[in-house]
Amino acid sequence: MASKIEYVRSKIVKTYDTDEIKKLIKDAKVAHCMLTDPPPVVDEESVLNRLSALTLGNGSGISCSCCGVGPFTSRAQQTAHYKHHWHTHNLKRKLFGKQAISLGEYNSRQDDSSNVSGSESEGEDNPNTPATQLFAAATRHCKAFYSNPKGQVFCIYRCLLHHRKEEMSLDGEGHVWSHRIKELLSPAYFRIAVVMVSGGHFAGCIFVGGSDSVHKTLHSYTTRRSQGQSQSSRDQTGNAPRSAGASLRRYNQDQFTVHVQNILVGWNDELKECGLIFYRAVGAVNQAAIFGKPSPLRREDPRVRQLPFPTRKPTFKEVKRVFHTLASIEVYDSLEHFQKALLALTGGKMPAKTTSDTSIAEQARKVQKPPQKTIDRAKSRERAPRELPTQVTSSEDEGPCYIDSETPAGWIKTLSEQSSNGVITNSRKDLLNDSSLVSCPESESEKEDPGVKGKKKKKKNKKPEEKQQQQQQQQQQQQQQQQPPVVKKGPQKIPNSVKKMWKAILAKDKEGASLEPILEAFEGDLEAAINTQDPNDGNTALHKAAIAEKPDVVTQILNAGGDPCIRNHQLQTPYAASPHADTRIAFRMFQAQFPDKYNYAKSQIPGPITLEQVEQDKEKKAQQKRAKRQREKERQLDKAKANKFLMLTDAQKKKNVENRCFLCGSQLPKIPFEYDDCKFCQIPCLHSHRKVRPLNMSV
Amino acid sequence: MAVRVQFENNNEVGVFSKLTNSYCLVAIGGSENFYSVFEAELAETIPVVHASVAGCRIIGRMTVGNKNGLIVPSSTTDTELQHIRNSLPDTVKVQRVEERLSALGNVIACNDYVALVHPDLDRDTEEILADTLDVEVFRQTVAGNVLVGSYAALSNRGGLVHPKTTIQDQDELSSLLQVPLVAGTVNRGSDVIAAGMVVNDWCAFCGLDTTSTEISVIESVFKLNDAKPTAITSTMRASLIDSMS
Repeated sequence: MASKIEYVRSKIVKTYDTDEIKKLIKDAKVAHCMLTDPPPVVDEESVLNRLSALTLGNGSGISCSCCGVGPFTSRAQQTAHYKHHWHTHNLKRKLFGKQAISLGEYNSRQDDSSNVSGSESEGEDNPNTPATQLFAAATRHCKAFYSNPKGQVFCIYRCLLHHRKEEMSLDGEGHVWSHRIKELLSPAYFRIAVVMVSGGHFAGCIFVGGSDSVHKTLHSYTTRRSQGQSQSSRDQTGNAPRSAGASLRRYNQDQFTVHVQNILVGWNDELKECGLIFYRAVGAVNQAAIFGKPSPLRREDPRVRQLPFPTRKPTFKEVKRVFHTLASIEVYDSLEHFQKALLALTGGKMPAKTTSDTSIAEQARKVQKPPQKTIDRAKSRERAPRELPTQVTSSEDEGPCYIDSETPAGWIKTLSEQSSNGVITNSRKDLLNDSSLVSCPESESEKEDPGVKGKKKKKKNKKPEEKQQQQQQQQQQQQQQQQPPVVKKGPQKIPNSVKKMWKAILAKDKEGASLEPILEAFEGDLEAAINTQDPNDGNTALHKAAIAEKPDVVTQILNAGGDPCIRNHQLQTPYAASPHADTRIAFRMFQAQFPDKYNYAKSQIPGPITLEQVEQDKEKKAQQKRAKRQREKERQLDKAKANKFLMLTDAQKKKNVENRCFLCGSQLPKIPFEYDDCKFCQIPCLHSHRKVRPLNMSV
Repeated sequence: MAVRVQFENNNEVGVFSKLTNSYCLVAIGGSENFYSVFEAELAETIPVVHASVAGCRIIGRMTVGNKNGLIVPSSTTDTELQHIRNSLPDTVKVQRVEERLSALGNVIACNDYVALVHPDLDRDTEEILADTLDVEVFRQTVAGNVLVGSYAALSNRGGLVHPKTTIQDQDELSSLLQVPLVAGTVNRGSDVIAAGMVVNDWCAFCGLDTTSTEISVIESVFKLNDAKPTAITSTMRASLIDSMS
């Protein structure tokens, strides 16, 4: 149905064609799609039976009809079932008109998708989906549907059959409805009136059979032309204008009402004979014109019914159109035709009424016409989908890396090839991906790390630093030898010398001097080596030093050309990564030394600081600390005094020279609150003091 | 005993009041007629309190409660919550919940032991419900309707459900609730049971339109004919007060 909607032509039969109608409605029944299930229990007897018994269900057969489970053996089992997600899921499926599923099926579905809500909209293999759809469409429709033994389905406006307020049961067979359709043949239905009032226009007509017997149209000037509003509704907004036009329109409105009522009074006899009277009158003013005092029409009259569809300006032509629309019964030859037509209509896509060549040509013309509409600036413009720009990250972000003495020549070759193809990116994502590829050799070296560290720590106390260094270097040389040359493949290979440096940074204990030999070992490419990022976390040597809280090492690396603007994978600059104040100061002092070397705004270093300033800051802090300690001491002293004062009896307190509150011991204000020579800081203190000591005692 | 009452010419009394075994909330209306009917019937046993929720009078549909507690939606203002807390007995826990289905009275039907709730109710709300009201919570529908709170009125002695509930469903629900159920109507055929009436263990109030047949069904299913407030709240209470004064 999605791609193509067939418009099913239907035959039109008019209600006034008595012969046709007779044939059509012979033994007609309400179409099946309109019927609802008969109410299961409404008969008095069953209610009375239950009332007399008032049992808790029938004990043996307690089961869950929704999931088809049971009977339950115990209450626990029952409650467990009702609390199961599966039960909730089946409940929802039932609400959507779907079959319940078994527990196994439910579990397998849960494995596929963790959707507990049960509101999945998958294309279920549900046999009664079209039927339920049809039912939903039919019960909401403004027409009623009937079928006759010939297999024909015909639609008729509900308003012809019953008044809007009259509810007719569709339960069971719908006998009321089939009875009503027969009434169409009664002579009263042969005479139908249509009355429409809107915006100073009146059009009314009484149709006998298919032709109009009496009709009248009327127009008077009651709406404000340019503003497009009736004068009466304008007046209701508050200050009624007193212009000539306004008073003219008011007068016209009154006259119009009177006139319409006079017409209806004149039609009194004809209207009495009418079987149905349809009206369209929106708003109090228009309704007053039709149902006003002298008019013969009454709202309570069951013959008087509203038009069920929108109409145009009341003119004689429009009234005729409305009547013929109402009077026409659509007849479909078979149920399938009808289903298609109804679902197409309610599917939201109204097919074109006529698919004649002219209309197609017209459509084509419309398409060809360039859009001459003025642009509606209130609406947001539609966004054209555009491709994202290719991500190019500058070398500043990622650091100049990967190419140093130890990078295999083959790799450089592939790199240049890649760059010529335009494939290579420095983006972080690639970095991460690649690092995962080459993780095996690194993990190998990392495994050895703890052992190396442990050894070092043991030996630290005994051996001089330099020897330790040598040993370390030896170990790493061994490592190099052990690692087969194959490992060096791949773009992320970190040269061993760089690794050595990192290790040294992490391992050293505040011995800044010993880094220098390592740094010197790099010759021309010192800067590149320092700024190499660890593929695991994107940390450079500077990051590592900062995180390890080694201000001396940080200063050394900075001096050697470490870039403080490089960010690691957490997007932290070395300054931001450093947890310790001293390390941070090292960065700031470097900035003070070389204010123009880097773009410090990028490095997140807040500002330069000199050694003197650091000293000053320290001094200031120390002073504050001292002052705080002093204050604390004083407070303690005061508290002790107050406690001592509170220990005294009231009589002693009165003699005491200290200006303290008798109850809480705090300092008294200049003019204390007092009673009976007892002094207090606040009224509440006084009250509570007073409460404790009864009046007769204090007197 | 079942009493017919009207709220400002409106028969949907369940919308404007909330009745439980330990308190009764009544909407603030233009006239005190509605309130005085409740007060005349209940004031000896339980407090009858004027209340509003989020400035609205439809407290019966917005709140849910039983003798153990009261749950109000998040739209309840602090002043209203404070007022309710102050006027209800100390044993009643009052709790405000953040729930998308904010008309709690429509989505939850409960007595003092069991609650039936809308299948889509939030898990957190379900937990709060179980804690505050001290009930066992089941997700259920009544006659294919998810608004269990609207279509079922429950007490500890019985329950009235939507007229189109099948016998099978009634049996299931009654075994779940452990009280007898009957399908029926109030207010001359209205199927929104809980909107048309409020009930506790010894008293029911229904709309003025309710027919005598409906009344008799209500009285027999909720066992109101012989019902008296439990001893501790009526006779013993009086003697206790006597002895204390």
